[in-house]
Amino acid sequence: MPGRGRCPDCGSAELVEDSHYSQNQLVCSDCGCVVTEGVLTTTFSDEGNLREVTYSRSTGENEQVSRSQQRGLRRVRDLCRVLQLPPTFEDTAIAYYQQAYQHAGIRTARLQKKEVLVGCCVLITCRQRNWPLTMGTICTLLYADLDVFSGTYMQIVKLLGLDVPSLCLVDLVKTYCSSFKLFEASPSVPAKYVEDKEKMLSRTLQLVELADETWLVTGRHPLPVITAATFLAWQSLRPSDRLSCSLARFCKLANVDLPYPASSRLQELLAVLLQMAEQLAWLQVLKLDKRSVVKHIGDLLQHRHMLVRKAFRDGTAEMDSGEKELQGQGQGQGPEEEDVGSSSLELPAVKRPASPALLLPPCMLKPPKRVCPTPPVSTVTGDEDISDSEIEQYLRTPQEVRDFQKAQAARQAAQSVPNPP
Amino acid sequence: MEEEKTDLELYLDQCSAQDALTTSRSPLLSPAVPYDVDMLTSSNPESAFNPQLEEVTETSGSFSAVDLSFLLDELSQEKKDQTVIRSKHEIEENCKTQKQQTRLPLPSQLDTGLALDSSSGSSSHSHLHPADGNSAQPSPEKPHSLPLASITPMTPIAPISECSGIVPQLQNIVSTVNLACKLDLKKIALHAKNAEYNPKRFAAVIMRIREPRTTALIFSSGKMVCTGAKSEEQSRLAARKYARVVQKLGFPARFLDFTIQNMVGSCDVRFPISLEGLVLTHQQFSSYEPELFPGLIYRMVKPRIVLLIFVSGKVVLTGAKKRSDICEAFENIYPILKGFKKA
Repeated sequence: MPGRGRCPDCGSAELVEDSHYSQNQLVCSDCGCVVTEGVLTTTFSDEGNLREVTYSRSTGENEQVSRSQQRGLRRVRDLCRVLQLPPTFEDTAIAYYQQAYQHAGIRTARLQKKEVLVGCCVLITCRQRNWPLTMGTICTLLYADLDVFSGTYMQIVKLLGLDVPSLCLVDLVKTYCSSFKLFEASPSVPAKYVEDKEKMLSRTLQLVELADETWLVTGRHPLPVITAATFLAWQSLRPSDRLSCSLARFCKLANVDLPYPASSRLQELLAVLLQMAEQLAWLQVLKLDKRSVVKHIGDLLQHRHMLVRKAFRDGTAEMDSGEKELQGQGQGQGPEEEDVGSSSLELPAVKRPASPALLLPPCMLKPPKRVCPTPPVSTVTGDEDISDSEIEQYLRTPQEVRDFQKAQAARQAAQSVPNPP
Repeated sequence: MEEEKTDLELYLDQCSAQDALTTSRSPLLSPAVPYDVDMLTSSNPESAFNPQLEEVTETSGSFSAVDLSFLLDELSQEKKDQTVIRSKHEIEENCKTQKQQTRLPLPSQLDTGLALDSSSGSSSHSHLHPADGNSAQPSPEKPHSLPLASITPMTPIAPISECSGIVPQLQNIVSTVNLACKLDLKKIALHAKNAEYNPKRFAAVIMRIREPRTTALIFSSGKMVCTGAKSEEQSRLAARKYARVVQKLGFPARFLDFTIQNMVGSCDVRFPISLEGLVLTHQQFSSYEPELFPGLIYRMVKPRIVLLIFVSGKVVLTGAKKRSDICEAFENIYPILKGFKKA
């Protein structure tokens, strides 16, 4: 280096600063002569000024990306690739992970939590961009427990102060339905079970919309509702061949897991459809049940808005009479529901449709499991006298104490000798 | 912009009236504030709302303290700092603005209700403060003098505390007390019939009494936690009974620093609630994850209570230290829930 002096041996000006085992040396680059040396050891007085600083108290943490953070960021990238997310999602998820890592609570968390945090960041990114990703999917991919996931998720949303929109149901339906393997014939899927994707999607969407209108979706996990809706849509597109197929078999055919609540959602959806069918003249006559209503789902969905309004009432009972919207479809039955009721037509058993059922969530329609009696008004002041006898009832007499001690000792003895000879 | 300002002014009138009433310790109108806020936030985005409010604050120098603190902290600070001095004729100014408002019928009714109340002299002087926010606000283009007498008679407004007609029932009270002496937990577990002690599982004795039906955790330091009571008095009585039991076992137990730590209440509004709608409009306070929990978790800022709202209309309120917190929180949430009655 110029201006640093010359090598005493060869006179070259090319002196390089180099360290040899942490000892600073000034070396001539031509002949290798060591011009000056730094001090390798420190004296006692020097060391007096030096103090050991733990890594967590130094600034090293902020300057470097720690190994576990690097691992986490790699996991975020991998997860984004596995889910085939667009590249911008990856960057956002990485940013969230880094942001989370700045909080001490996350840095010192267990590895299990850091694993789950990876999933949380990806989920938040997807939710904010309306990409339908369920927590169940992420938990399956991460082999994580939903409880742990939920705790970490709620914590990180609060910590980062994020605004996470709800899961978009329509997108979820489209993605989930597309995953059903029913759109091409295969050895496991006979031809009569194969269905057109677009038709099934549109019908499923209509059924899910119907479920949403009739309080079947609020407060429930969204996926089982969609499973039930897909099943009904598929069945109704070719009822003659498919009525015999059960929900479980359907999911097996389609290579999709059957969520446990799906069967009860199916029953609820069928009940709603039956209520709606009551309002259609030609269906009333047929006296449908849960199986036969499937054949008419197409018609019911076509007029679903009007039928829901007619079939159900909420607190404000709006009975709009004289709605001429409904025309007999190909059945040539012109008369409206009211007329059918009043004029006795073919079947004398046809009675006037029952007064509309209440449009309430199923939890409000079921009778309460146990009647909660209103507690009697207590006149306790908190300062009453406490009688001795009342306290005595909770204490053991000396004899009881002795018996108890004997029993405890005997139990200890029995435990310490599990296999008596 | 013009229409927004009008609504805003009306809302501010309402708030000032509400604040005047709260300062006079009347529970009237407290839900009206969040209800109005709810309406406004659904019509204007939150971000637009704040600067507007601030701007109006600038213009009206003597703007009354508004009890908006349940909304946002920084907003409430400004309002609370300002005081109210009003005269009677400003009620007229308030009434005149009602003619122009179209979007918030309820607040106007309440305003006139207030005005009517004040004219009948039913309550304190503070009733004359309803038009506070309006006086200093520039509104030259508005027609003046809608005299008090020209207010159309309407159905008398019931006091807001009766509006919901529902009182949350207390389900659980958690309290702590200091017995102020070191305890031998083994001895307590041996001599008391109603005690269980498993040091490997938990480092305290779990004791139960039948009347009031409660459970207590008694620690060796002398501190005790009492849970399960249905009222504050019952909790205190139960804690005293536990202290007596410990006394009878030979320890010099005292009864210091009895404090209620948490109160849980529940009630039923009896109509279904659209949780999706609620989380959309009250995103800042609500957390609704149907994949995790069927209820919506609403964190109210003032009073600091957490509410669990379910689709069936059942509401659980927790985190209160006083009974009035729970009642106030429910009165705040009831009009919001009514807004989401139908899907």
